[in-house]
Amino acid sequence: MTLLDALLFLPLAGFALLLFLPRAQSENIRLTALAVSLAVFLGSLGLPFLFETLSTDFVWIESPNIHYHVSLDGISLWLVLLTTVLTPIAILISWRSIQDRIKEYYAFLLLLEFGLIGVFIAQDLFLFYVFWEVSLVPMYFLIGIWGHERRIYAAVKFFLFTMAGSVLMLAAIIYLYNKAETFDYALILQALSTGKLALSAAEQMALFLAFFLAFAIKVPLFPLHTWLPDAHVEAPTAGSVMLAAVMLKMGTYGIIHFCVPMFPRAAHECAPWIVKLAIIGIVYGALVALVQPNMKKLVAYSSVSHLGFVVLGIFSFTQQGMDGAVYQMLNHGISTGALFVLVGFMYERRHSLEIADYGGVAPYAPWLSTVFLITTLASIGLPTLNNFVGEFLVLQGAAIANFKWAVYAALGVILSACYMLWLYQRTFYGEASEVIKHHMPDLTGREWAAMLPLLLLMVWMGTYTKTFLPPISASTARILVGTESSKRIRVAAPRANTLLAKEAADVR
Amino acid sequence: METFSFYAFAVLVLGGAILTITRRSAVHSAISLIVSLVGVAGLYLLQQAEFLFAVQIVLYIGGIMVLFLFVIMLVNLDEAAKERQFNGQWLIALICATVVGLQVAWFMTKGAGALKLAQVPVAAAQTGAPVSPGNVEAIADVLFSEYLLPFEVASVLLLVAVVGSVVMAKKRI
Amino acid sequence: MSVDDAIRFLPELILILAATLIMVCDPLTSTHRKSTLAVLAFVALLAALAATAYSSTDPGKAFFGMIVVDGFATFFRAIVIVVGLLTVLSSNRFLEREGANSGEFYALLLFSISGQSMMAASNELIILFIGLEISSIASYVMAGFLRDDSRANESALKYFLLGSFASAFLLYGIALVYGVTGATNLSDIGSRMQPDSLLGGVAAALMFVGFGFKISGAPFQMWAPDVYQGAPTPVTAFLSAGPKAAAFAVFVRVFTVAFGNIGDRWEPLIWISALLSMTIGNFAALGQTNVKRMLAYSSIAHAGYVLVAITARSESGVAAVMFYLGAYALMNVGAFTVVGHISRKGERYLRVEDLSGLGVRQPLTAAMFSIFLLSFIGVPLTAGFFGKFYIFKAALQSDLIWLTVLGLLNSAVAAYYYLRVLVVMYMQEPGEAVNEVEPLSPALRLSLICSAAGTLILGIFPSGALHFAVKSAVLK
Repeated sequence: MTLLDALLFLPLAGFALLLFLPRAQSENIRLTALAVSLAVFLGSLGLPFLFETLSTDFVWIESPNIHYHVSLDGISLWLVLLTTVLTPIAILISWRSIQDRIKEYYAFLLLLEFGLIGVFIAQDLFLFYVFWEVSLVPMYFLIGIWGHERRIYAAVKFFLFTMAGSVLMLAAIIYLYNKAETFDYALILQALSTGKLALSAAEQMALFLAFFLAFAIKVPLFPLHTWLPDAHVEAPTAGSVMLAAVMLKMGTYGIIHFCVPMFPRAAHECAPWIVKLAIIGIVYGALVALVQPNMKKLVAYSSVSHLGFVVLGIFSFTQQGMDGAVYQMLNHGISTGALFVLVGFMYERRHSLEIADYGGVAPYAPWLSTVFLITTLASIGLPTLNNFVGEFLVLQGAAIANFKWAVYAALGVILSACYMLWLYQRTFYGEASEVIKHHMPDLTGREWAAMLPLLLLMVWMGTYTKTFLPPISASTARILVGTESSKRIRVAAPRANTLLAKEAADVR
Repeated sequence: METFSFYAFAVLVLGGAILTITRRSAVHSAISLIVSLVGVAGLYLLQQAEFLFAVQIVLYIGGIMVLFLFVIMLVNLDEAAKERQFNGQWLIALICATVVGLQVAWFMTKGAGALKLAQVPVAAAQTGAPVSPGNVEAIADVLFSEYLLPFEVASVLLLVAVVGSVVMAKKRI
Repeated sequence: MSVDDAIRFLPELILILAATLIMVCDPLTSTHRKSTLAVLAFVALLAALAATAYSSTDPGKAFFGMIVVDGFATFFRAIVIVVGLLTVLSSNRFLEREGANSGEFYALLLFSISGQSMMAASNELIILFIGLEISSIASYVMAGFLRDDSRANESALKYFLLGSFASAFLLYGIALVYGVTGATNLSDIGSRMQPDSLLGGVAAALMFVGFGFKISGAPFQMWAPDVYQGAPTPVTAFLSAGPKAAAFAVFVRVFTVAFGNIGDRWEPLIWISALLSMTIGNFAALGQTNVKRMLAYSSIAHAGYVLVAITARSESGVAAVMFYLGAYALMNVGAFTVVGHISRKGERYLRVEDLSGLGVRQPLTAAMFSIFLLSFIGVPLTAGFFGKFYIFKAALQSDLIWLTVLGLLNSAVAAYYYLRVLVVMYMQEPGEAVNEVEPLSPALRLSLICSAAGTLILGIFPSGALHFAVKSAVLK
């Protein structure tokens, strides 16, 4: 039993504990949930120092050979930390806004944390699938029970989209198992790279697409994104935060951790198409965000745009691009998470998400405005704040791979400044209505407690990347070497040849 | 003699069957059916299947046909007689009959070797054993040794059927 | 009849004797004390379960090869007996409520289970057929047990007519098999069946029609929604689990042992039937407003998943069938038990909307129903997920890629209608039906907790059951 297992099962224990607490003691329930999530967070602070040594592997089911195998690499390390940071925040921001069925609410939040941590640390494909689906259930309930008016539609849509994608992934996982006789990711990867497990080009492509579809829906990659605005808008604040900040990363993590290393050749073949979709997503998401009258929807579409950068970075197959993609995953988690938190604060005060209902908030809630401004600036990629680093790296990587990609993607950066600043202007400046004057108190202590860590991280990640980048680079370099070498080995195949030639021409 | 009896019984079977489906009066149909069943019983006897012969007489003619007649007597026959005769699906019936006929023909050619029961007395006669009076012993032998379990369990089936019909028919549970 | 024979037939003997005993005791117990008969039935079932376990310690054939006690038989005997136990627990309160608590019900239940148990252990077509008929006739009557209810009457009649029709097909198939091979013993048939036998193929097809009816696989599924909807809910729970599991048991045994040689002939039939069952079941369930009817269509779809495993024609396929049916029996009985509990006297509240707000009023019931529904969807850590997983794993091993992909997509479609129930339970305000629902009676609670715990245990620690299934999947 290592620290990692403890961190994984602590939320589950908290979930069980909450179920047995009496319904009436709502304050105790909140405190218990907060205590559990804080304990997980504090524990997870040890991960950056230990992560390479933490690994547990034992047999869960003998036949088929399924292991409980968890460990961390430089990418999943930060994603786990992202989860453990955001869960206490999600609990804090729900303190007053959730008054109905409190017990179940916090229980589901902890169950969600369990599922999310599991997804990022599972090293057995079967175990990964289990956590992938398990994380779906609490989110479904969070949206469906505590969401806004169209919550049921959004919850069902969310569940069905993810389910439809993941069943094909299950088929692919089983197919791989039947070939490799193991679910263990490292062993499969090894068998694939040594040629012990030989897949034909068609098989590789089919398996790649089956995995990729599941992940692309989760990311979400244009045009599979339609569930996302609904789910984000209808979810309660904490749900939106966890969904945007962490759950979307399940998709990009899956792509970078499973899809690309296992099927490098198919990934290279598909890359031009996927990149096109990513760029369309970047521009399209930004344009749609520009015209949204609803704050949450605006942030949701901005996510489509930001996640496009991540996919672009991954499929540029350059060191910078991949590093940037992973960094951008974390950045998006922090800054978009913060944006959702802030929008939630405003909703609690004004009970509206329509931008038109705000205006002139700044004089009445100066601290709220300041925090919102910093978050906005972070989100549009101001230097010294976190997003800048990620976007810069992704654009650099894209430029190395194909300069045109960088040009188009940069459009998204410009547009993001447009929609975010315009949002800020319409909300915080201008004439304040009577309601705003009387119902816009400034940040409370609890709200500060939720926001401060995020602000701190924005600055930290924007100024001192040395804390975060080295482990990421180590992992992405490994992935890159794996994919490049397999690409080179298979250069002899006629198809890859023409593809490479074409790519070389493109670069020129 | 055997050929003659075979054709006589065959005429009974077929004639009875044709009369059964063409008579307008239900009672006449039922009586024709009895004639047909008697013919079948005769054929069994010709095959030296005395047990089946007895069962045919006791069960079908004695039991089931009497039940038929009861039902016919209980329902209103005058009404039924006035109604148009029901033969709208003759095409499907014809197809079914043809398929069944073909299958039977297939059996005759391919499956003859499989009919073991009929050969039992012959085999006994060849080995010089005392001439058996028929296959009743043979059946009893099998029924109370190899097929003991189905034979006993069939009684459970009958019990369930009786219980079930009583439950369904009883006024108050 | 030797002692060994008797021991290998002991579970059925116990059940038949207990059923007769209940019939005898029935007139002697007063109307208010019929629950003692339920206790008697429960004890008899427990004894039968113990006998099953005991007889499995000495596997082998009995009664001149009519009965075979092997892992496969033991597994299915255990399933049908457990289904019986759960049914007894859930039906007592129900029958009291409907004013129909009587000894005959339990007697018929025990008879029916004895028939199914016989099917599970049968190694010969005649005993198979008799077992099937005992099970069927008893269940026809149980479906129409509430005789003042016109829907129940319709249901029973439909079940009876179509069921008899199916039995006739089965019998025709058996006759042809005897014609082709001159044997009724499955092992003999298997060794005598020629791989190119055309008539053997026809016989297999006819028997498939008969079994298809019993397992409610498409295109022979038409009766299931009407019968499941009309029958009293505990009986529906029983019908959709016990007879179905037993029918699948004989189906698998006959088609692997007796028709293993001519697998190429029947595989396409089952392939088509599997796909049709999944598709028809799931898509028809999407539009249902009545919970029982919806679960009926879902049970057709689940039969389709099991047929996928049979199509795989491998030992891992057989193991998958066993595991899935075990899981399915638990979750299905559980789900129907909840529905019966909510429906109240006269089964008035059966619409999906009637469950609204159950999560608020009866959190425990709702939580357990959710476990069953999530298991139906196939969410990991529930039995249903592992069931589906093993089925599709077996299918992929046999290169049934398209069937697997279509089946998995089907299971995504299915998520929609199960989610709808979750939605109304947790995301809508309590309605009239739920507001006055009585608390769970102890027996019901026990029955539900057992099924829910079973569903979770099979989902989290499936090794034991699966290991047993894999070991028993070798049919000879």
